[in-house]
Amino acid sequence: MAGSDLAKYPFLNEAGAYLRESNFGWEELDRPDMKHIIDRAAERIEIEVNGKIYDNLERYEIEILTFLISLVIVKSISIEQVLRKFALAEARRAEKFLTEDLRKQSEIKRRSVFTKIFEDLFKLRILISEDQRLFKVRVIDYLARASHFNEQEWKLINRLVHNGYVYLDADETVRLIRNELAVLIYDKVRAMTLPTLPQGIKSRADELRLKFLPRYERRASAAVTDYPPCIKHALEVMNKGDNLPHSARVMLATYMLAIGKPVDEIVSMFENAPDFNEKITRYQVEHLAGMKGSHTKYSVPSCDKLRNENLCFATAECDTLINPIQFGRKKK
Amino acid sequence: MRENLFAAKNISVIKKAFREYYFNQSKAIEEPLKMEQREFGFAHFGQAGMLRHLSFKSMKELDAMLVREAPSDVYCSNAYYRIPTQQPMQEKQWLGADLIFDIDGKDLGMPCVPSHSYSVCINCGYGSPPEKHKERSSYSCPSCGCKKADYVSIPCSKCIDGSKKEARRLVDFLLGDIGLEHSAIHVYFSGNNGFHVHINDDAFISLDPQARSDLVGYLSGTGLMLESIGLRKTNTEDLFSIKLPKSGLAFGWRRRIAERLKIDMASAIKLKNIVNQNGGYNAFKVELDRLARDMGVRIDPQVTTDVHRVFRMPGTLNSKSGLSKTKSSDLNSFDPFVDACLLGDGKVSVKVKTPVKLKLKRNSFNVSKESAEMPTYAAVYLMCKGLAEAN
Repeated sequence: MAGSDLAKYPFLNEAGAYLRESNFGWEELDRPDMKHIIDRAAERIEIEVNGKIYDNLERYEIEILTFLISLVIVKSISIEQVLRKFALAEARRAEKFLTEDLRKQSEIKRRSVFTKIFEDLFKLRILISEDQRLFKVRVIDYLARASHFNEQEWKLINRLVHNGYVYLDADETVRLIRNELAVLIYDKVRAMTLPTLPQGIKSRADELRLKFLPRYERRASAAVTDYPPCIKHALEVMNKGDNLPHSARVMLATYMLAIGKPVDEIVSMFENAPDFNEKITRYQVEHLAGMKGSHTKYSVPSCDKLRNENLCFATAECDTLINPIQFGRKKK
Repeated sequence: MRENLFAAKNISVIKKAFREYYFNQSKAIEEPLKMEQREFGFAHFGQAGMLRHLSFKSMKELDAMLVREAPSDVYCSNAYYRIPTQQPMQEKQWLGADLIFDIDGKDLGMPCVPSHSYSVCINCGYGSPPEKHKERSSYSCPSCGCKKADYVSIPCSKCIDGSKKEARRLVDFLLGDIGLEHSAIHVYFSGNNGFHVHINDDAFISLDPQARSDLVGYLSGTGLMLESIGLRKTNTEDLFSIKLPKSGLAFGWRRRIAERLKIDMASAIKLKNIVNQNGGYNAFKVELDRLARDMGVRIDPQVTTDVHRVFRMPGTLNSKSGLSKTKSSDLNSFDPFVDACLLGDGKVSVKVKTPVKLKLKRNSFNVSKESAEMPTYAAVYLMCKGLAEAN
């Protein structure tokens, strides 16, 4: 693996091997020439926590150290949301380099980078399509990843699928592993045990922590102003005394629980059901609330699931939603 | 509700027939892969609910239980667990689950159903032939005046052909699009009015419910975007532009839709006209949605996405009919009323609730008298349907 690859992908095991071979020790971080690297690391974290990608790229000796120090500082800041944002932005940074590499480099070169990152780290085998224009991954590998993406365009039905493979372009192929890259970086920070930090790093970490802390203090909860169309439809059916399928009843009850309606009120919503039995309904609502049985609190089914079950009656206002619970919410 | 169908006399006749089947035909019951990691469940005649969270180490142990108890229904989990008997569910330690699809004849909206649906009063059990109560809303029991009835369908060959058509379509999707091997796809008659398709491929075992739901969406034609076939909405209301996808229209859903609309990569203008003829972007979106669902497979999404479900075990009897859940290696020649009708033919005397027609094991039964003597397999079928009682 070339040095330029390590600069772009410092999370690879080879980068760690480089640090070990160069006999790197924590005490070196107090050296004056390290200030530049610590500054870069702090800048990188600040930009990334603000939702942007840090796209500055230097030679690999500097990049590997900057990445390591960023991890140390994020660990030391110890705010969960900061870690999550940093991990996601780092994944998107790597995604950007990977996409560029894929588009530009010769086939042999791009295969080797791919094999390394996709196959070694994420057990994802990428093949080149028969006409050499696209990449292809097995349907099963695609589903395991993309089914967790929210955008409709990632649903399998909106992909080119043939003979067990999903065909993707370079950007899409790399997008598939963004979450796994983020998890890899997240886990790296989580697994770290920090030594006593050199003063130069500790003070930068404390500074950043003070800056980020107020942002992530508990946010005010949101209020529901209107029911989403799927819930409205279920309520209409119920009020007419028509039969509502079990899955729609689960949707209605979990939704009402999620917006904080008391169990009594929810039970009374089912009074018009042709087979209403107060005792059974109460048990079932309490079960969904996690008060009975396995004590698992059930969440509101996703828009995806409701679409599959023909319970979705989306209107224009539903456009960007992935769960009915997001409908009509406004921040106080 | 079902337990009411089984009056004490009926139970003893049906149980005897089921027990005889499990004693003589134990080889018909398929041993599930990794049996020791499965959860089993049973239902018993005349009892509500299901007994779950059971485990069997060997078929010998299971067979002995089936003969001893003669349960009404036998279920086995699609899931593999480290400790299948543990409760609550999350403590079973889920290891994976087979991928299974359910095609239920009653969900296909077959037009023939009213012509073979018998009404049975929920209050007094009085049975009426299909032509009597075609309008369900106007039902009134001729015996007690009750307004509610159970409708019991005796599926006809058209119903079975409808389910077979869906099963074939599913198999085509699984082979051509999803890339499964023929040998990994096992089609079973459900034992009443539909088919279960079991997938035997380790790669699918670890899929979570969301991934299974995405797959269900693909197979059933749900959520297809106009953008997939090259339509792009512009910012102005209902205006659109066309840019056919660079990767072509040759495969998967794009091929299906392109074939249906008779378009190809040179048809940008034709596509534009089709959309306009349908009333613009939004109206065509509704039309495409209808088209895709029509071309997709009608599978029950709940069943496939549930990774903790117990399924009727292949080779066991279905208490809704007395027929067996039977593997079909060739759907064209498979006849459930012959191939899955495996109970004995000793004579049983029954009292039918309504004149009834049925054909089992190639024998036609046209029972018009109240009392009749018929082979066990036919008598049990009618009793399971709630249309007859043991004399």
